[in-house]
Amino acid sequence: MIKFWNKRIKLGTLTENSELDRELETIKKEIKDNVNKNFSGSLAIRMVDSGSCNACEAECNALANPYYDLERLGIYFVASPRHADVMLLSGIMTFNMTPHAKEAYAQIPEPKWVISLGDCPVMQAPFEKNYAIKAPADEHLPIAHHIAGCPPSPLEIIQGILAFLKKI
Amino acid sequence: MRFIARYAKEIHSGFEIITVYEDEIQKESVSFEEPAIETLAKKYPAAIWFERKMHDDFGIIIEDAFDKRPLVHQERFPKDLHPLRKDFVKDELAYADYVAYKYEEISGDGVFQVGVGPIHAGIIEPGHFHFSQAGEDMLHLEVRHFYKNRGIEKMLEGKTLSEAKPIIERISGNETIAYQICWRDIVLQATKQELPLAIKKRHALLLELERSIHHLTDLGFIPNDAGFGAALAFGSKLAEDARRKMRELTGHRFGFAAIDFDNKYIDTATFEEWLDELWHSVEFFEDWIIDIPSLWDRFDTTGILLLKKALKYSTVGVVARASGVTQDRRTDKFYLEHGFVMASEVSGDVSARFKVRLQELKNSIEMMRNFLEEDESSLDLAKVYDGEYHSFCESSIGELFMAIDIKDGVIERFFVRDPSFVNWQAVHLMMSRDIIADFPLINKSCDLSYAGNDL
Repeated sequence: MIKFWNKRIKLGTLTENSELDRELETIKKEIKDNVNKNFSGSLAIRMVDSGSCNACEAECNALANPYYDLERLGIYFVASPRHADVMLLSGIMTFNMTPHAKEAYAQIPEPKWVISLGDCPVMQAPFEKNYAIKAPADEHLPIAHHIAGCPPSPLEIIQGILAFLKKI
Repeated sequence: MRFIARYAKEIHSGFEIITVYEDEIQKESVSFEEPAIETLAKKYPAAIWFERKMHDDFGIIIEDAFDKRPLVHQERFPKDLHPLRKDFVKDELAYADYVAYKYEEISGDGVFQVGVGPIHAGIIEPGHFHFSQAGEDMLHLEVRHFYKNRGIEKMLEGKTLSEAKPIIERISGNETIAYQICWRDIVLQATKQELPLAIKKRHALLLELERSIHHLTDLGFIPNDAGFGAALAFGSKLAEDARRKMRELTGHRFGFAAIDFDNKYIDTATFEEWLDELWHSVEFFEDWIIDIPSLWDRFDTTGILLLKKALKYSTVGVVARASGVTQDRRTDKFYLEHGFVMASEVSGDVSARFKVRLQELKNSIEMMRNFLEEDESSLDLAKVYDGEYHSFCESSIGELFMAIDIKDGVIERFFVRDPSFVNWQAVHLMMSRDIIADFPLINKSCDLSYAGNDL
């Protein structure tokens, strides 16, 4: 473990703000006001995959890596829809998953929002409509905001969430 | 003889059932009126899902099957509807009445059932795990999937190979390069062309980079599931670095659209520098993690898949190699010349799968060095000939099998067997000696795909 701590100290902090830096400063206050008003201090997200290729999930997982560290903004992923403010919906709304995605939404306490993630839920991915697909998602759930990309990069997801926070 | 896949297709007079083994491909025809075959599941348990899927897709009856439940079609899927038949053309389906699915359950005094999913607690794909429990001990697990079924096979019919490409690369995001290489090999067979060595090396480099990203992520996540979060911070940092390299080389963080027939410029010097850096980081990681006894206390003897079972259930990839099966699609001249060494462990537990990933990661770094080349050759594709083609590729999970029939220049039947499709059927075997709290750890150590499995 000593070796690890030596390396840890040498590496320092890896978290990047780069181009987001200035924006973050201004947005942080907005988030705080917004988050304080609507979300009691922190924004809890429940991720639901309704039939993606797993790339959107991989990018959401990457949000937790030391470069992005989303939790520093008070935004975090929760294990149950009952703990969530926002549902982050990826995937193409398959025949088999659509009822479960709707059930998860029903379990989120009011007030609640749905953010769609990636090109699948809005039928912008190369997949074609067929018997197994129920997208676009807005036919089934009230989509408050959309984050485009196939998949959107972690930075785009952060920007998308911030855009959503400004909007509501 | 290792069983690889079994699938059906519609031909003019009925259905053809194709069974793919390691050394041969067997075909059997049945009529539309009497589409009945015998099960292979008695000899090859992995045939069960293939046969249940065949019934859902085409209505083929497996006469002596002991499991006749639907697989892909769930509770509210309309009855007696077989979407892969050519006369099925609907692109919208209404939900039918709910018919409960009968889970495999063990019952008895004090035995209870735990259903997990389809939506799980973390940021992961949907699937259902159904446990029969005696206290904390898992008596039985049934893995139930196909929540993500997007009807990919049907979707690709009637498309040319190049029209199908953007869909094929999005079947499973973590294995996109492997899927694209399978597609590439089929294109080359159909156009009767050879790939220039330099392009082959570029593709092999990208495949090893994809494998490295996947393994680095898992090397972080597996300890994290045993409560050791520092490893995740370390592993996910390296995985992010590797993903950025992927974007540098292909313009996309996952490598969608990366496999084509033009070689692009690679800045070999900076890439090699990064490889050296990664090598040192991985060595440091190994040296550090191997020294944490509480972690190995969780890993050792957890989730054992015995060699006998690994063979019987036709498992592939990391899971098989961790149980002592020496099987890898990269054992050919090209890979051996570029430094391929087969990873292997024998204990079949979580530690073995973790160590196989470490070995493979280090071997991938070695191989990437050997694949590096500055070259800008390209290949112009010739005319596509009709025919039945198939190809294999070793994805980061295991052996991927793809078969495409081309008729009149377009896809007549598309079939792909993700390595996860066979490995999922062996996951329940790993549970018998462990408690339910070990399940996430065991599941993560296999890290199988749901999207590639469900199609």
